[in-house]
Amino acid sequence: MKKVKRRATAALLIAAMLIIGVAVYLVRLADDGGAWATYFSSSVAAGTITDRNGTVLYTSDGSEYAFAEDWATRTACFQLIGDVSGNVGTGAIGQFRDKLSGYNFITGMSSGQTLRLTVDASLNVKAYAALAGRNGAVIVMNYKTGEILCMVSAPSMDPANPGNNPADGTYLNKAVSAAFVPGSVFKLVTLTAAIENIDDLYDRQFWCGGSAVVGGATLNCTSAHGSQTIEQALANSCNCAFSELAQALGPELLAQYAEKLGLTAAHELDGITTAAGTFEKAEAGTIDLSWSGIGQYHDMVSPYAMLRLTAAVANGGLLMEPTLIGRGPLSGTTRLMAAETAGKVADMMDYNVEYAYGTWNFPGLSICAKTGTAEVGDGTSHSWFTGFLADEAHPYAFVVMIEHGGAGLANAGSVANTVLQAAVAENNG
Amino acid sequence: MNFFEALPELSEYVLAGAKYILPFLAIWLLMRCVRSMLREKYEPETWAYLIDEAGAKRPVHHWECIIGRAASADVVVTEPSVSRVHASLMRDDEGGWNLSDIRSKGGTRINGRPVDTDEPVEDGDVLSFAGNDFTFRDIDEKKRAAQAMRRTAPGRFIGPGVTLLILTLFQAFLTMEFTATAQPGHVLPIALAFLALMVIQWFCYFVMRSIRRTGFEPETLAFFLTTLGVAVVATSTPGEMLKQIFLVMIGITLFFFLGFWLRDLRRVKAFRWAAAVAAIGLLGLNLLVSEAVFGAKNWLTVAGVSIQPSELVKVIYIYVGAAALDRLFERRNLFAFIGFSALCVIALALMGDFGAAVIFFTCFLVISFMRSGSFATVFLAVTGAGLAGFLVLSVRPYIAQRFATWGHVWEDVWGKGYQQTHALSAAAAGGLFGKGAGTGWLKDIVAANTDMVFAVLCEELGLIIGLCAILAVISLALFAVRNAAQGRSTYYVIAACAAVSMLMVQMGLNVFGSLDILPFTGVTFPFVSKGGTSLISCWMMLAFVKAGDTRRDASFVVKPQAGRRVRPADGEEEAEE
Repeated sequence: MKKVKRRATAALLIAAMLIIGVAVYLVRLADDGGAWATYFSSSVAAGTITDRNGTVLYTSDGSEYAFAEDWATRTACFQLIGDVSGNVGTGAIGQFRDKLSGYNFITGMSSGQTLRLTVDASLNVKAYAALAGRNGAVIVMNYKTGEILCMVSAPSMDPANPGNNPADGTYLNKAVSAAFVPGSVFKLVTLTAAIENIDDLYDRQFWCGGSAVVGGATLNCTSAHGSQTIEQALANSCNCAFSELAQALGPELLAQYAEKLGLTAAHELDGITTAAGTFEKAEAGTIDLSWSGIGQYHDMVSPYAMLRLTAAVANGGLLMEPTLIGRGPLSGTTRLMAAETAGKVADMMDYNVEYAYGTWNFPGLSICAKTGTAEVGDGTSHSWFTGFLADEAHPYAFVVMIEHGGAGLANAGSVANTVLQAAVAENNG
Repeated sequence: MNFFEALPELSEYVLAGAKYILPFLAIWLLMRCVRSMLREKYEPETWAYLIDEAGAKRPVHHWECIIGRAASADVVVTEPSVSRVHASLMRDDEGGWNLSDIRSKGGTRINGRPVDTDEPVEDGDVLSFAGNDFTFRDIDEKKRAAQAMRRTAPGRFIGPGVTLLILTLFQAFLTMEFTATAQPGHVLPIALAFLALMVIQWFCYFVMRSIRRTGFEPETLAFFLTTLGVAVVATSTPGEMLKQIFLVMIGITLFFFLGFWLRDLRRVKAFRWAAAVAAIGLLGLNLLVSEAVFGAKNWLTVAGVSIQPSELVKVIYIYVGAAALDRLFERRNLFAFIGFSALCVIALALMGDFGAAVIFFTCFLVISFMRSGSFATVFLAVTGAGLAGFLVLSVRPYIAQRFATWGHVWEDVWGKGYQQTHALSAAAAGGLFGKGAGTGWLKDIVAANTDMVFAVLCEELGLIIGLCAILAVISLALFAVRNAAQGRSTYYVIAACAAVSMLMVQMGLNVFGSLDILPFTGVTFPFVSKGGTSLISCWMMLAFVKAGDTRRDASFVVKPQAGRRVRPADGEEEAEE
């Protein structure tokens, strides 16, 4: 009996091994639990995404999901929100999955969180409607806070009723994930470089006879602008004048500014990597160099990069980095240019509207802007309009880009007016 | 979903609250059971004396004693003529003593008469071991009663009724969670099933009280685990709730049957051969007629009812394998056990039920270790090695595959590591408190409610309750080992230890297999995994644990003590801490 009694403790050995096994598991769980728990959650993100006013744009319990109630909102926010299949790589559902569901040791995976975006869905609806079937992108941000208020890409689709053959570019958020020929909006870069590098810029007169001969080739302008100051040259978007500036600055300096102002690099928007732009240095003295300073040649810029530039100009050269989910303590600011330079560029963008675009096109808005009509080589042009409201109560910077949309002011400018009027009326902080 | 949508506030309130209450109740329940089962230190008891010729008294501390020269003997006689293991002196439930000679060289005599086996010994008899005489003195009735009274009476300080009430609360909250999360059509069956479980456990409790048995902790722990099992069925296959309850009822009925059967050791011994033959017959039938399911031929379908014979054989294996002290040293008995073990393991290996084969093999080691005497050790070691070798050879391809995956599950997430990685992910996702009963996703994966049941528990009810389930089984084991100190017979001690070892090994293979700490073997978690035969066999194993419970008036498996005169007043029994 004594022996059996003593040997009964053999069972304790098994118990001890169980305890060791449990300890091993707990250590591993503490180490890798997060990776384990999130590994399979790539199917459907559980949680709710709303716009800044609480309008539900997406909600899911992990298996069932639903998008916004009305067709217009679903379509206007398609690329912003993305779809559950992950077709839109930059969609909020995929990008902010960790915010919808997080892991920690105590609570495990917590899903069903609500994420409030800075975007106003009703602005998206208005912007998408204003594009009226044309392809392109609209993006509006508050340059004081960095909050993106509107982000639309067309063509779009209804995620609740996805068709079989979505149009080309439907899954692309053109506001952030694509670069386009910028055309004359790129003149803001050349202008910035000129302000900081050409001492007698304001004393110069720029002659435009409707065309100019550069390096043996003819450079056409939209019309014969005659003798102009730099302000008038920008307002006229005079190619002859900016050709002269490009030649004076040279390829190195232009490339340096394109980079410094953030037009060529890829950026991070809350973890979304945006499309990089391009600026190729043309040989000094050639017409290619002239065109590169006018936003043609091989220049490519994403609407997002252009927005950063305009927002920086609006905010005294200091860019509040844009965000879709609100600024946190770690949100960055980037100085793109000196405050003095930014003031000068802003003044000239203000003059553009006063002198050339017509304030009657933007009733009630103290708008500063630059147009772009970017020739894409097939006889059509991308229509650009970028700028900001010089309005303390409504500090909005914007970019409108319509692919093959024709003249900048008439097309993109009118879309911008519609969206900005709505934004001011909504009075989003 | 309609219910969920219609009453979002109620369901959220229930889920949020119950989520934290459930682990608290589980810990409370476990602590009460553990404290009640392990609270008392066992004092050495003296049941008789052997007085040598010089008048020196040697106390007999146990009901089953080895007399011999070996230091491990219960009564040590250091004369060189006495064999190392000379004779066994055993007391039966009625208080009578029997002496058996265990192949001693010098022989054993009572009052000069040679002794073979089971010779009755009376107070005052002279016992002679190879010529060394001892006078046998039994203790008197009064001392015996006093000694019986000294034993711990369970339930006096930690009331089993309150513990069961905690379990009932646990079940009530669990039911509430399910009513908030289950499909409308399943709410009623789930609620009824939990209600039935509550009724069953209270019925058992009152049956025990009516026969004046106050130890209810092992049953409470088993009911706790069974509750978790019902919850697993409710979340994974809510259509089978009533079937599950029916199986619980069968299990408990057989638990009572086996428990009462085990009361009489003579009867138990008499049927060991029949049981062994039945076990081998079951396995043989299984091997002959069944078809492979999930790679293992361990299912037997009779008249539409599928059973796993290996689960029932586990119970029989323990029943056959345990032995009283006098039989431990019988060669014939030992060879029979070795042969039986070999047949069982070989049959299981042929079926491809690697998990069960491992469980049997471990159980064989535990029983062997516990019963091994001097010469037996050699035989058992050789047999053990042989069986292990056979096991490895016969299921080598299978093992090779499992071992290849082991530790590399994340490298083949959609293939061989599918189950383990999903289990790990879901278990981690649950955190300490779980996502709430019925809300997990792991349940929908194949074999989630059996092989990966620990992960289902962790995902839905949280890591705390998952660990409580493991600890519940471990505390049953500690209890069985603890009780060995006052075991009535080595048979009960070996049986109880073998049963808890089996439960623990099975649980270990299940839990750690699903968590990629051990190779994945696909065995069940005792009481919790879905599977009728497994549940029934676990309840039957519990009867062995109860048979080892020698606390005063604790176990229905122990006959009321002869000569017990002192009864605590009713009021005293109700006393709680």
